[in-house]
Amino acid sequence: MLNRILRISLLILLSGISLRAADVQGTVVVQHKLTKSRVTPTASMYERGVSISLGSDQEHDPLAYERTHVVIYLEGDSANDEVSGELGQKDRRFSPDLVVVPMGSTVSFPNYDPIFHDVFSLSNAKSFDLGNYAQAHSRSITFPKPGIIFVNCHLHSNMSAVIVVTPNRWSTKADAAGHFTLPNVPPGKYTIVAWHKTAGFFRKTIQVTATGHDPIEFAIPLDEEGRVQQASR
Amino acid sequence: MKMRFATRAFIWSFVPFAIMLAGGFWFVQQRVQSTVRTGMRSSLLDAHVSMDRMRAQSELQNSRLLQIVGENPSLKAGLQLVISEPKSKAARLTLEDQLREIAETLHFDLLLVSNSNNTPMAGILRVDDQLVTVDIAGWKPPQKGLFSFGGVAYQLNSFPIDVNDENVGTLSIGERFDLTQFTTPTVLSRLGKVLRSNVPNASPAEVESALGACGEQVECETKIAGESYLTLVSDSTELGDGYVLRSLQSVDSVSGPLHSVLRHVFFVASFLALLSAAAISLLSSRSVAGPIATLVQRLRESEATGLLPDFQTDAATIHEIRELTETFNRAANAVREGRDNLQQAYLEFIGSLASTLDARDNYTAGHSRRVSEYSCMIAEAMNITGEELEVVRMGALLHDIGKIGIIDNVLRKPAKLTREEMALLQQHPSIGRRILEGVRGFQAYLPIVELHHENWDGTGYPLHLPDVTVPMCARIVHVADAYDAMTSARPYRSALSHETAIQELKRCAGSQFDPEIVRVATGTDVVDHLHRHTREAAPTPRLISIIK
Repeated sequence: MLNRILRISLLILLSGISLRAADVQGTVVVQHKLTKSRVTPTASMYERGVSISLGSDQEHDPLAYERTHVVIYLEGDSANDEVSGELGQKDRRFSPDLVVVPMGSTVSFPNYDPIFHDVFSLSNAKSFDLGNYAQAHSRSITFPKPGIIFVNCHLHSNMSAVIVVTPNRWSTKADAAGHFTLPNVPPGKYTIVAWHKTAGFFRKTIQVTATGHDPIEFAIPLDEEGRVQQASR
Repeated sequence: MKMRFATRAFIWSFVPFAIMLAGGFWFVQQRVQSTVRTGMRSSLLDAHVSMDRMRAQSELQNSRLLQIVGENPSLKAGLQLVISEPKSKAARLTLEDQLREIAETLHFDLLLVSNSNNTPMAGILRVDDQLVTVDIAGWKPPQKGLFSFGGVAYQLNSFPIDVNDENVGTLSIGERFDLTQFTTPTVLSRLGKVLRSNVPNASPAEVESALGACGEQVECETKIAGESYLTLVSDSTELGDGYVLRSLQSVDSVSGPLHSVLRHVFFVASFLALLSAAAISLLSSRSVAGPIATLVQRLRESEATGLLPDFQTDAATIHEIRELTETFNRAANAVREGRDNLQQAYLEFIGSLASTLDARDNYTAGHSRRVSEYSCMIAEAMNITGEELEVVRMGALLHDIGKIGIIDNVLRKPAKLTREEMALLQQHPSIGRRILEGVRGFQAYLPIVELHHENWDGTGYPLHLPDVTVPMCARIVHVADAYDAMTSARPYRSALSHETAIQELKRCAGSQFDPEIVRVATGTDVVDHLHRHTREAAPTPRLISIIK
């Protein structure tokens, strides 16, 4: 408890001297494809009389997909960092399918489809059911606690999205190349976390100074059979 | 109709044999074929039934699988949404979208959701491989069975959608009903009318009339387009509403190859049997007709030779044939006897003719007989035998027959004849010829009678023929006649001695006589005989016996 108070006060102090803060940068390396996406619809679906033909996965670089679905954040609390997020429903999918918001943020769930959706979650961090609502309607939910929230649709069992509610504003998704930047991190000792839906959590301790930090690389390792191995640290 | 006995015997033994054999083989073949057919039929039926059972099994599996589709929670939620928002187009679109997704994944051709009142709520259909939503207004598809829409038949199955043990609606799943899914020929009919058929080489009308004969029978055998089919009403596929699905199996296509093998075997067997029957018939007809044919052959030979030999009766072991032979022999004996009698009578007739002639002139008594004897001697010495010798003998006997037509004044004139009388006498060969011409069987003697006064140098009478143009027999008789004339006494001269006569013959050889004949006639053998004969006047009966 004492430790926590100390850390919070340290953070407040550091935020006050933000000029001395540094960007935390690193790389995510994914060795194997982790998500098996089957097919994606290629045509607009809801025009009456037009049937859907199914195409194959258009993803050119499956590893890039994996890398963009890795969430990076620093552990530790921070106040007043709430933002507004959006998790829309389009073409019978959640768009985007991964939303990262600091805790206390509000996420809206607008329906862009001509059909009904019924968005719900049963996750511990926040469970909700928005009920049926049609096109041009939206519902919003505020997430006061950090955590991983899996979102589904009652009407469409294959719709799935994840909302990652992080403890503070230092959170991001890696880009296609696996690079990430957490801007303006005050110097100090942090635990940096990488999370992937399939691979789980990977943690590293970093020392951030005004001049920077040791290079960070998250290798999401896999054993020979393709199973994810937990990071050694 | 004329026919050889052997042929007749062959036909009478072979034809019934062949008919019996062919009939027997045909019967056996028919029996075997029908047995095979029955066996085939029952095994076909078994296969048919088990196939149907398998289909039923798979239908059951299928329906279990489809039940799971009905338990789809998303679909339930969708149905509930539509029920709760009946006017919302978006709600219906949501449900249709769900149905489309199911159809996409599970490849159904028709999906329909109805509410608990059986009112259709949403439906999608596969048209040209594209899933389209359909206007469900007015749809009343059956819960189960065939449903026709837009000219396409769908086989429907329905499953309740329950929420909290409360029925909220029905999911109907349809698959395109197509006969191509059946491995055997199949016919879909409704109330006796054929709707679809994939029986090869048969029009639906033919199939309809053929199946019409089956009526309500579940299992039935019928003929379509000349081929036998075993049909069975499929009870695995419940079509309802009077639809009947009959699967067919061609009996011919199964038993056909076996039948053709059987036919082949029976054909070869019956061919061999007929061949052996023909051989046996041939042998038996030969054994029956053979002795008769031999008999006939021998009769024909004896007809050709004119001889009537005694046939051996022991050779024929068959009773009837032996009897026939014996009868023939008896007949032949009778004929022979008759012929001998005739011969006898004929000889006696000639003999008496000759005697008549001789009797007219004392001086020439026995002349004909002697000339005949001498001629025979010469002929024998010249190696003339058989028929020819007989001709010489008879001809010589008759050679002066024409003298019958010469008046007694000339013939019996005791003095030398005048020129006119000589001319009359010289007509006797021509007269003789005229007399004998009319007598049948005397043709052979005519040259002797007519030409026995022709000379070697052509100075003779009546035709003045020279040397070899005169037949040999006539030339012989000429020599013999001259010898006897010389050695016989005449009213105007006494008989010349044998030696003088021989001398005279030799002298006239080459002019009056054939030198060769004279050489033979004056040869030691003949001369001795002649000499001996001139001494004895042979009596008539003895002469006949010699001739004979």
